[in-house]
This record gives sequence, structure tokens and C-alpha cells, in this order.
Amino acid sequence: MRNKWTILLTGLVFGLAVVLSMATGAAAENIRIGVASPFTGDLAAYGDNIKAGVSLKLKEINDAGGINGQQVELVWGDDLCAPKEAGTVGSKFAADESIVAVIGHLCSSATLAAVPIYVRAGLPSISPTSTNPTIGDVGKGWFFRNCYTDDFQGKYLASYVVPELLGKKSVAIFYENNDYAIGLKDSFVAGAETAGLKVVGAEAYVSKTTDFTPQLTKLLQGKPDTIFLCGYHPEGALIAGQSRKLGFTGPLFGADGIDNEDYIKIGGKATDNTYLTVPFLAASAGPEGKAFAERFKEAYGRDVDWMSANAYDCLGILAQVIAKTGPDRKKIRDGLAAINSEADGYKGITGLTYFDKKGDCAKPAFVKMVKDGKFMSAE
Amino acid sequence: MFLQQLVNGLTIGGIYAMIAVGYTMIYGVIQLINFAHGEIYMLGAFFAITFISVLGLPFYAAFPLAMACCAVCGVLLDVIAYRPLRKSPRLAALITAIGMSIFLQNLAMVIWGSRPKPFPHGTLPVYFEKTAVSFGGVNLSWFHIFIYCLTIVMMVGLNLIIKKTRWGKAMRAVAQNKTMAALAGINVNRVISYTFLLAGALGGAAGIMTGAFYNKIEPTMGYIAGVKAFAAAVLGGIGSVPGAMLGGVVLGVAEAFGAGYLSSLYRDGISYAVMIAVIILIPAGLFGRVLKETKKSM
Repeated sequence: MRNKWTILLTGLVFGLAVVLSMATGAAAENIRIGVASPFTGDLAAYGDNIKAGVSLKLKEINDAGGINGQQVELVWGDDLCAPKEAGTVGSKFAADESIVAVIGHLCSSATLAAVPIYVRAGLPSISPTSTNPTIGDVGKGWFFRNCYTDDFQGKYLASYVVPELLGKKSVAIFYENNDYAIGLKDSFVAGAETAGLKVVGAEAYVSKTTDFTPQLTKLLQGKPDTIFLCGYHPEGALIAGQSRKLGFTGPLFGADGIDNEDYIKIGGKATDNTYLTVPFLAASAGPEGKAFAERFKEAYGRDVDWMSANAYDCLGILAQVIAKTGPDRKKIRDGLAAINSEADGYKGITGLTYFDKKGDCAKPAFVKMVKDGKFMSAE
Repeated sequence: MFLQQLVNGLTIGGIYAMIAVGYTMIYGVIQLINFAHGEIYMLGAFFAITFISVLGLPFYAAFPLAMACCAVCGVLLDVIAYRPLRKSPRLAALITAIGMSIFLQNLAMVIWGSRPKPFPHGTLPVYFEKTAVSFGGVNLSWFHIFIYCLTIVMMVGLNLIIKKTRWGKAMRAVAQNKTMAALAGINVNRVISYTFLLAGALGGAAGIMTGAFYNKIEPTMGYIAGVKAFAAAVLGGIGSVPGAMLGGVVLGVAEAFGAGYLSSLYRDGISYAVMIAVIILIPAGLFGRVLKETKKSM
């Protein structure tokens, strides 16, 4: 009797093992790529953009038969734009051997937390959006990005946008206390010195603040011509509104972190006369970019933003590399690092992308503005 | 700059005061720190924008309606979560309060989504944005004045209710001694419900004003506001209604000056430092009474 049970049990275990191995075997045929962004929380709107961009490219790749016959599968990781969560998501991706590369993270602080984990695990990552200049040093050759860095963006704002485009001389800076905003502020201040701009004051805030009036009151004492919203759109929109309540009428300007439809939705009329630098602007893009903008609008019913465009290209770059090297973490890294000159560059909708030794790339910035409750090209 | 910071501080301080009064009243009658009170404040803001954007009500109609809904929520909170535990150890009710806070936060996330929402544009009275007074660099909009007036009216009204009405008398009696009040023929449970009704309405009003003034409404907004208001209630002496009012205003002004003159990154730290200093120097708070510990209820 006892024997019978043992045989039955062994049989069951074996059967289960076979079924399980078949199941994982089937899944292993897909090429799995991790995508890390804030999909919930305050900055969920950014995550939506990333999802929209990569999903569009994913569909194109898989509809065309995948990469060398293998379908691509995306694994989503929600990091809430918080370094702590990014560490959790990063460890999960790194431990999952079936994931061969990561697209992300979105926020610079999140990327700075996750990249060391990827480096240790030997997992290549490519961020569509993290602009903090120090990430390249942390990445040790395993990190890439297809957006410009804040070294460039901050100086561009200080040398061109404020003095030339806006024709203004003095600036008050309002920056969020995180890696992205501090890096951007520092590079702007350095650029402002060279350009002869006067910085009348710089105030920091923590995310999730709702009342900015004490700091604004202090900044407006210096009678600035314009206010620099150095942070993300949820706070930027509130600062715009509250600065108008305190009687400030001049133009506002910000960088890529402000670029989101929600900025206008939350801030309303107060956001008019805001100028932004972005890495991709449909109106200034080449024919492929324009065609992409139309496909995007058809699929999602809204105008394309720069994050979706960069995310779309990130998956494109990975797909091109994997087609050559096969789905292997180390080989993908080598393949990405080999895209290191204009001739080898990846021609995507956001222009030509090729990486330097730190995984950074040189790309132009575009300026857009808010006018009558709509984003439009400022140039 | 001094005057403008005072204006900023009084605005947020008035809002803290209205929430703090709710904490302190409930603590007064049932010795419970109602941690779910911040969530009633959050619900007030969401009710208001829902009435405005879904039912198309004007601001002046949505405001009292949302307040009424919050008052009802306050009573429901008591009936569902706290009344069954009236005879249990105080710790049980406290943990339940924390549980209700988390539950309501998540309920709001399910109903309204987790993304921050603006107050519907163009639904506030037009004159709110206009400057009422402007001198020496101070900008006082009609919205500021509206908030100040409303805070004052509600605080004076509340004081009249507590001091002059039979209802208020019953509340004070229950706060002093529940058993004796019951023996004297007061329906204690009904008085407690009245207290939750008042606290809910005031908390809701504070939520609507914050949502409309600072223009950001999200399910987690009640947490920090609740903690700050609790600090204000402790500052004023928990259980004392005038203390909570003053505590809220002091906290708001301290925050504004701290952010304006010291470092803006430490504004939350400053408000808690003020609270800790008061607890160390005047343990009973500004208006609190020192009670000898007589009987442990646990």
C-alpha cells in the first residue's frame, strides 16, 4: 500500500517537473527585456509615456516576426521614481536570468540607485530619459542613454534660451532636492556665470510639497525677470500657479522634466508663457519623426512627447543589437558599446544616436512653449 | 517680505487649525486620537471636485454639500469602526483608527485614481484670483480673504456651539465624565456622533479650501496634513478647542517663516521641532490642563 503511494507521488512530481520545464522552455523562446519606470504615483504620467513608446515599437518588431524569429516580451518594473523602489526593481531584474537587457530607469535618482546593481550582475541598461551627468561614471560601461545630459541642457538654457530666446537677464531658481534637479541647477548656474546672467536666488523643495508660497515670496524679493522650474511637472504646475497668485507675471522656463500634458492640466492658465527644452520635438523632427508622431497620435489619441519617442528608439537600438549578437547580456553590452561613431550610429526617429565611452550621446535640444493652454514649438 | 510670509503662514495655519480642532474635539470626548481624520479632509476635497465636475454644481453649492458629506462620513466612521470598540482597551480603537486611515486612502485611490488632480479650472469664483489688497510688496487675493473669513466664522461658530447650546453643554459634560453624563440622562453615543459630525464638517471644509487654493488633490494628501494638524493639536494642548486653533496658526506661521528665512528644505522639520520644544517646555501644551494620572484604562 505504502509503495503504491510512493510511486504515485513520484509520478506526480515528475509529471509536474516535466510540465514546468516545458512551460519555462516555451517562455525562454521569447527575448525578455525589462522596462523600469514610475507606473504609479505622482509621476505615473511619465510611465504611461514610456509604456506607450516601447509598446508601439514592440508591436512593430513582433508583427514583423520578432528578432531572428524570436518574439520580444517586455517585463514591467514600477519604481515610483524613488531610489528605494528602483533598487528593488533592479534586484528583481538582475536576478531574473531570462531578462537580457533593461530599458530605464526614468528618473535620474532611480537610475543612479539601480545601475550599480546592473553593473554587478552584468546586465546592460539603456535609459531613454535620465539626464544626470554622473550616471555614466557609475555605469562602468554597462549603462547607455539616448538622451542628452544636463551638462549640456543646463548650459543650453543659460546660454541660449534665457538670454537669446526670452531676452531676460535675471533668474530665480526653484529646484527639487533630487539628483536630476541638483545636477541641472549646478550646470545652469555655471552656464549663467559665463553668459552674464544674474541668479537672484535658488530655493529647494522636496517632492509632494503643495505650498510653495514661502519660498516664492523669498525668491520674488530679488525681482527676477524669469523663474526656472528645475524639477518635475506636478510641482512645476503648482509653482506656476502660486507664483501668478503672488503677482509674478514674467515668463517661466524649465527643462525636460516639465514636459507633460499634465503640466498644463494641473496648472491651467498660469502655465502660459512657459518655455521648455526637450530632446525631441515632433515639429522639428525629420520625416521619420513626423511619421512616427502621426502613428503615435493614431494609436493613443494624443500628441507624442519626447519620452515616448526616446523610449521607442531605445527598444529599436536594443532590437538592432540583439539581432546581431543574440540574446546574451554580455554580448548585448559589447554590441551597444560598438555603436560608438557617427558611421555606426543608430538612425531612429529622434535622430542619430551613438555612444561615447561613458554611454552618453550628443544630441540637440529643442525648445517648446505653452501658449493658450497648448504646447507648441517656440522656435 | 515679513508681511507676505505672515499672509502665507496664516493661510496654511488656518487650514491646520480647522483640522486640528477635529482631532482635539474627538480626543476630548472619547480620548481617541482619530488618525483617520486626515482622510476625512482628503475626502472633502474629492467630494467637492466630484460635485463640481460630475454634477456641474457651482463652487458655492458644492462647498456646503461636500462638507455635509464629510460630516456624514465622520459619523459613519464612528458608528462602524469606533462604537463597537467603546468598551475595549483604548489601544484597540487607536489601531482601528490607523486601519481606517489606510482603508480610506486606498478606497479613494480605487475610486478616483492615484494621480494628483487639479481643482477643475474655471469653476472657482472669478474674483478669487483678483488682488484685494496690495501694499509694500504684499499681495492679498480675495481667495486669501475668503479663507481667513471662513476660518474665523467657523471657529467662532464652533465656540458658540460648544459654549452656548445644550448640545455643546452635553459635549462638555461627556468630555468631563462619560458615566456621570450618562447618569444625568445624556445619550452619550449621540453626543459622540454629534462631535464626529462637527469634526467631519470642519475637516472637509479644510480639505476643500486646500484643494482649491493649492490646486492639488490626491488620495495621500490627508496623511501629512493630518500629522501636522495632530502636531498643532498637541501644541495647543490636546482636548482644548481654542488651543488647537492657536496651535494650527502658530504652526503654519512657524513653517512659513522657517521656509522663508531659514532653509526651505527644513520646513517640515521646523514644524515638528516647534512641537517637540512645546512638549518639553510646557508638557500640557499651550491651553492644556495638567491632569493627575488617576486610573489606567488599560
